Amino acid sequence: MRLNTYVILRRSGWRSPEDLGAAAERSRKVGDEEMPDDVRWIRSYVLEEGGGSVGTVCIYQATSPEAIRRHASMADLPVDEIVAVADTVIVRPDPAPVAA
Amino acid sequence: MGVAPPLAETAALLERERELEALTEGLGAAEAGHGRLVLLHGEAGVGKTALVRRFCEEHAAANRVLVGVCEPLFTPRPLGPLLDVATEVGGELENTVRTAAGSHEVTAALVRELESRVPAILVVEDAHWADEATLDVLKLLSRQLETVPALVVVTHRDDELEVTHPLRHLLGHLVSGRAIRRVAVARLSPDAVTTLATPYGVDPDELYRKTGGNPFFVTEILGARGDEIPATVRDAVLARAARLSPRPRALLEAVAVARSDAELWLLEALAPDELGTLDECFASGMLVPRAGAVGFRHELARLTMEESLAPDRRLALHRLALAALAEPPVGAADLARLAHHAEAVGDADAVLRYAPAAGERAAEVGAHREAARQYARALQFAGSLGADARGELHRRRAAECYLTDQHEDAIEAAHAAIACYRELGDRLGEGRSILFLSRIAWCPGLTAEAEEAGREAVAILEELPPGRDLAEAYANLGTLLRDRDDRAGAIEWATRSRQLADEIGASTVACGQVIGIALTEVLHGAPGGMKQLQNEVEQAQALGSDDLVAWGHLSLGRAAMRARRYGIAREAIDAGLEHVGEQGYILWTLYFLSYRARLELDQGLWTDAVDTAGMILSERWISTLPRTVALTVLGLVRARRGDPGVWEALDRARALADGTGELDRIAPVAVARAEAAWLEGRDDAALEATDAAYELALARGVPRFVGELAVWRRRAGARESVRGAAEPHARELDGQWERAADLWDELGCPYEAALALADVDNVRPLRAALERLGELEARPASTIVARRLRRHGARIPRGPRSATRENPAGLTPRELEVLALVARGLRNADIAGQLVLSPRTVDHHIGAILRKLGVRSRGEAAAAAARLHLLEPEDREARRQR
Repeated sequence: MRLNTYVILRRSGWRSPEDLGAAAERSRKVGDEEMPDDVRWIRSYVLEEGGGSVGTVCIYQATSPEAIRRHASMADLPVDEIVAVADTVIVRPDPAPVAA
Repeated sequence: MGVAPPLAETAALLERERELEALTEGLGAAEAGHGRLVLLHGEAGVGKTALVRRFCEEHAAANRVLVGVCEPLFTPRPLGPLLDVATEVGGELENTVRTAAGSHEVTAALVRELESRVPAILVVEDAHWADEATLDVLKLLSRQLETVPALVVVTHRDDELEVTHPLRHLLGHLVSGRAIRRVAVARLSPDAVTTLATPYGVDPDELYRKTGGNPFFVTEILGARGDEIPATVRDAVLARAARLSPRPRALLEAVAVARSDAELWLLEALAPDELGTLDECFASGMLVPRAGAVGFRHELARLTMEESLAPDRRLALHRLALAALAEPPVGAADLARLAHHAEAVGDADAVLRYAPAAGERAAEVGAHREAARQYARALQFAGSLGADARGELHRRRAAECYLTDQHEDAIEAAHAAIACYRELGDRLGEGRSILFLSRIAWCPGLTAEAEEAGREAVAILEELPPGRDLAEAYANLGTLLRDRDDRAGAIEWATRSRQLADEIGASTVACGQVIGIALTEVLHGAPGGMKQLQNEVEQAQALGSDDLVAWGHLSLGRAAMRARRYGIAREAIDAGLEHVGEQGYILWTLYFLSYRARLELDQGLWTDAVDTAGMILSERWISTLPRTVALTVLGLVRARRGDPGVWEALDRARALADGTGELDRIAPVAVARAEAAWLEGRDDAALEATDAAYELALARGVPRFVGELAVWRRRAGARESVRGAAEPHARELDGQWERAADLWDELGCPYEAALALADVDNVRPLRAALERLGELEARPASTIVARRLRRHGARIPRGPRSATRENPAGLTPRELEVLALVARGLRNADIAGQLVLSPRTVDHHIGAILRKLGVRSRGEAAAAAARLHLLEPEDREARRQR
């Protein structure tokens, strides 16, 4: 099946970076073990949302927006918005990760 | 009997700890009463079979091991692997499988057998070659496996499943059930290849580069012991065979022609003088013993040997096999195998003797795809037959293609049948075939052709003494006109059909027309029509004809969906799906699924709706009505959630609906496009999307569509006075938005209720609308309502996910419902039934519940629910009111 690229907004999804860490592990597990043909997690940017809480902007490849939502529901991740990526322009590589 | 040589054994079992562990874990669960299905997949030659056999050997002492093998025949034996198993165990299962039972009965017998002596390991090898009936049984079995104490292991190749492969459909169903595990069998690592190569003095790097770590390829190369490493698997296999002396090599050839497992009695006929060299073949590692038979260690090797045979030698072997299989020492002759060899020999008489009989047998057990192939095979050799016999074969092929929704082939076969009957001057045969063509042409949306053929069939059959065929031709025309919403025409032709059927005592035809007339009335909004239709369907079912029962459920489902009587629709859909599933009528299944997808959408169960739509779309079937519905549902859910891909789906839906002239196809697509455009703030586009459909709905006087289209036009800014709209749209058009919202609530349509409230120019209903839309995660509509609220100066609360955060465990309302049923001890199948979800969806919910509650079992989940007071009625009610 053809994979499309999507941006997923998960704003203020977690109360703390620790909660996010646990969610990331669930996300990876569900993606790799239960729906490897339908979704591929590419990368995420963690957002400071104030008061210690965090959100994310995630880049995924998936067969459909429904696959993204199924993955989210199985891994208990919030979804605020899914946007299809039409093209990618890379100017510079991502900076080295900063510790949250 | 010889043993497999250590090399093959070692190569196939290196680095298999992970796979064996998964199988052992599955067996452990099965021993505890919770069955598991493990799908072992990987490329050809990667060692799936060796892995399973090794696992079974290890556990054969403490467990019962049942093995069924799918064969690489162009037209597989219906239920082939289950026949292997049934023959092994005998008793009820054998009777059921042999007596052409439907897949539900076979599954039930199989479950009883698996439960009778436990724990059992059931292996189905090479499912990529399985026939349709076997895949149906596996699908049904997987649904109830959670409570069957058995480990089911299914192996299949994943490197040659084209998109249309029937196995893909099964895999789609199985993808995430809780009882299902997928285990990929990987290639060997460079280290493992080095380990194997070292004793043979072969360069491990080159060996790895050429084979990519495929264990079969590695083994063939090392087994060939040549100086050079062959470039292809084929060369390796042939080099290895070339090391044998002529007699064992001849035996290999006989086995290659026979099939994957050649019975010893068959080999006696094919290679009587060479059979004594069997041990040599075993020692070479090319053949392995199976129960009462021998086979190649791998299908790739068999194929290579078969292809390398000289044409005359191959022909001679097929001829011997044909003769021997015609008179097997025990049991009945295997028609599918006979047809295969007859075709290979080019023996027209034999093909015409066996292929049609194999087709009939396949059709009986519900393997309609295989049946169609057998008739097609027979037709290739039918040149010498008379037009009547050819006409009959074309007619049967058309019928089987129709049942499996292969409409292009069905239409082609129907035309061929018509030509045969014309040649004969058989007007009755011609009229019947044209009638059939009319039915088939409708499915892919060729409505004009269907009507033309329908009228021609009536004209021809009216020349003949009136009989059942003419009654059916009248009925067909009535159906076509009903689908064009021609109320008077539909009733006229159905009435003619009924009168004739009554005269000649064709009670099922007459009964079908009574249903058809009542259905027509409901579709046009006649009051009291629904009750009457229900009565007629009940009476029809007492007549007991399978087709009539299916037709009754279908009519009721369709009428109830148009009248928005969702309770009745749900019952009809569930009963219909069960009934047609037993009959193996795939096409009808798609229609019921399309009703269900729409029902789930209307009831606010969007995730379920897209799952059901996905089931329809995963089929390659070209029947366009279910597909149109599925694409419409998918597009609408995306639009309502604000997800991408809306127009991709809705454009495809429109392409299928346009040109059919049928409101049932055109209007829902137009409504969906109007809503999607409105959600994007493009009112002009919303109006344009509905122009043609609205005119058609008015011209044909269909209240449901008049109302639905008019409301969307009103939302998009049209100011038209409307008459003849059905409720609740009529209230909306009258400006009674809150009353309409109540009606939507009574119908169980939360999104429509919210949209009705959103049209009230008042803060309180707008707030209620916003809250409901938030619960549905309907982002674009929420944005529109929030804007309206702001215009009233109201403050908008933020946080779209507040719904989930309100209960301590973060469960969604649907998950709470599922949890309540889990706590009452219901099984997944029952929960699915009660909440009208697919079993797969229930699996998802339970998985999510376990994760969120941080527990491992259903029992623990129930305990946690009690501890956290998740299920107390006042809590749930409070959340609902929110």
